[in-house]
Amino acid sequence: MLAGRPRPSAQSARRTPPLPLLLLCVLGAPRAESGAHTAVISPQDPTLLIGSSLQATCSVHGDPPGATAEGLYWTLNGRRLPSEHSRMLNASTLALVLANLNGSRQQSGDNLVCHARDGSILAGSCLYVGLPPEKPFNISCWSKNMKDLTCRWTPGAHGETFLHTNYSLKYKLRWYGQDNTCEEYHTVGPHSCHIPKDLALFTPYEIWVEATNRLGSARSDVLTLDILDVVTTDPPPDVHVSRVGGLEDQLSVRWVSPPALKDFLFQAKYQIRYRVEDSVDWKVVDDVSNQTSCRLAGLKPGTVYFVQVRCNPFGIYGSKKAGIWSEWSHPTAASTPRSERPGPGGGACEPRGGEPSSGPVRRELKQFLGWLKKHAYCSNLSFRLYDQWRAWMQKSHKTRNQHRTRGSCPRADGVRREVLPDKL
Amino acid sequence: MSLREGSLEDPQADSSVSFLPHLEAKIRQTHSLARLLTKYAEQLLQEYVQHQGAPFGSPGFSPPRLPVAGLSAPAPGHAGLPLAERLRLDAEALAELPPLLDAVRHRQAELSPRALRLLRRLEDATRQTRALGAALEAVLAALGAAAPGPRREPPAAPGPAGVFPAKLLGLRVCGLYREWTRRTEGDLGQLLPGGPA
Repeated sequence: MLAGRPRPSAQSARRTPPLPLLLLCVLGAPRAESGAHTAVISPQDPTLLIGSSLQATCSVHGDPPGATAEGLYWTLNGRRLPSEHSRMLNASTLALVLANLNGSRQQSGDNLVCHARDGSILAGSCLYVGLPPEKPFNISCWSKNMKDLTCRWTPGAHGETFLHTNYSLKYKLRWYGQDNTCEEYHTVGPHSCHIPKDLALFTPYEIWVEATNRLGSARSDVLTLDILDVVTTDPPPDVHVSRVGGLEDQLSVRWVSPPALKDFLFQAKYQIRYRVEDSVDWKVVDDVSNQTSCRLAGLKPGTVYFVQVRCNPFGIYGSKKAGIWSEWSHPTAASTPRSERPGPGGGACEPRGGEPSSGPVRRELKQFLGWLKKHAYCSNLSFRLYDQWRAWMQKSHKTRNQHRTRGSCPRADGVRREVLPDKL
Repeated sequence: MSLREGSLEDPQADSSVSFLPHLEAKIRQTHSLARLLTKYAEQLLQEYVQHQGAPFGSPGFSPPRLPVAGLSAPAPGHAGLPLAERLRLDAEALAELPPLLDAVRHRQAELSPRALRLLRRLEDATRQTRALGAALEAVLAALGAAAPGPRREPPAAPGPAGVFPAKLLGLRVCGLYREWTRRTEGDLGQLLPGGPA
């Protein structure tokens, strides 16, 4: 009830509201610009399926009695509805029929308003037009250091529901216990939830998502998991990158096991990635198993490199699952020593990429290296490395076995070994 | 009538109080706060109408000016009242606004739960209005103006049952918030040195 001066007699004869509401109605009844009419729209705040129809009425009453519905009209979201959608049911009631409704324009509901002839608002009702939720899916969860659990999911529905849909993540221990509801939402995106504590290990959980809106509800499939199978951890701290003596194509990377799990990381895997300062392309060294140092080789001399490390707490407490990689550590930078070898023409810079400048021997070697790159695993072989190898050969035999190609690091047993320049 | 001319009650009295610089600083600070909240109130109103949907915010939208329990708009004759009386009315209004703004926030949290910025603005408005009201009361007390009478507790009404009336009521509350912060800024401005006598 909206229009009309605030008079107790303006209250509808339909029923007497409770006292506090009556007080508010008496105080809150609006003032119309034309007369003391009030009106009521029925239904109030209906919820409807997209494509369905609405039949509504606007009934006027006020002072003087016998207020007429003549001249009343409807608007929906501020737009006047064509008169063919309305008809007078009786002297004081204007009816409306809307077919094939579209989804609501805003979460707070579409504004259906009944206006007096002069445009003043007599009454309003909010329509909620949408779809029931579809089943959420694609639930994935991870635990940080076995202390908590974060899950995210994809909402169902190929499009919008047009209605506010509430998502609730539920979980319970598989074989006993009651249903619990996650409380910290939107932690890693709009469809996510974080369970901060009181989680059991060595026993599976069942996890699912319930979606509810005004038109219905839907439930996802149940995901069963053990916390230990979805553990991730912090990035390795204290990553240091330093030169390896005067070797111009190598950098040494050292880090520390993530402290939260350092007593459990017996089989942890690490990955290193590095890139040249002004490049966006990372190179990944993904065969660094359970070590906290690695030497990158085959790098360009006199070049700044950014390096990051991450950890996968694989096999924690005997878990057989793959584990979840941590975030990358903060980038650490270091530069390789500048090359001291004179270039062609006596002191000029090294040709870009170490490409050969002349000679049939070098041309043949270039072809061979090209073939090797295609058919072997040493993608970083280059003339620079070949020259380096020659320098090593000249310096000392004992340094030959310390280095590997392709920026790789000493590996665990059973892993394929790299092809070495000195084995060509 | 400005601060330099003496107390609000006796404009002819000498400004003999040694704490006048502090009081002036406090008045300036409160005036600045009122100016800031006037700006925020305008932003809140715009954010509010955006989430209610048309015709809210449309040019020419003329909603019924619903009376709100416990609070009315500044009267047409407000500007003609003595400054002390104006400031007292400002303080009273600022004391009534926080629970009303909070009620609007609760309702909007049901209607538009994803309108996080709107909800945050309403929450901030509730808190900031309390701060401005307290600052104004402190200024009035320092000036020897009578403190506002015991605050009337607003009736614990559940709010309009229908969504559309609730939207209108929220609009009215946000509008009143803007009007009263603007009025407070104007009235405090007259206390500043150089303000109109």
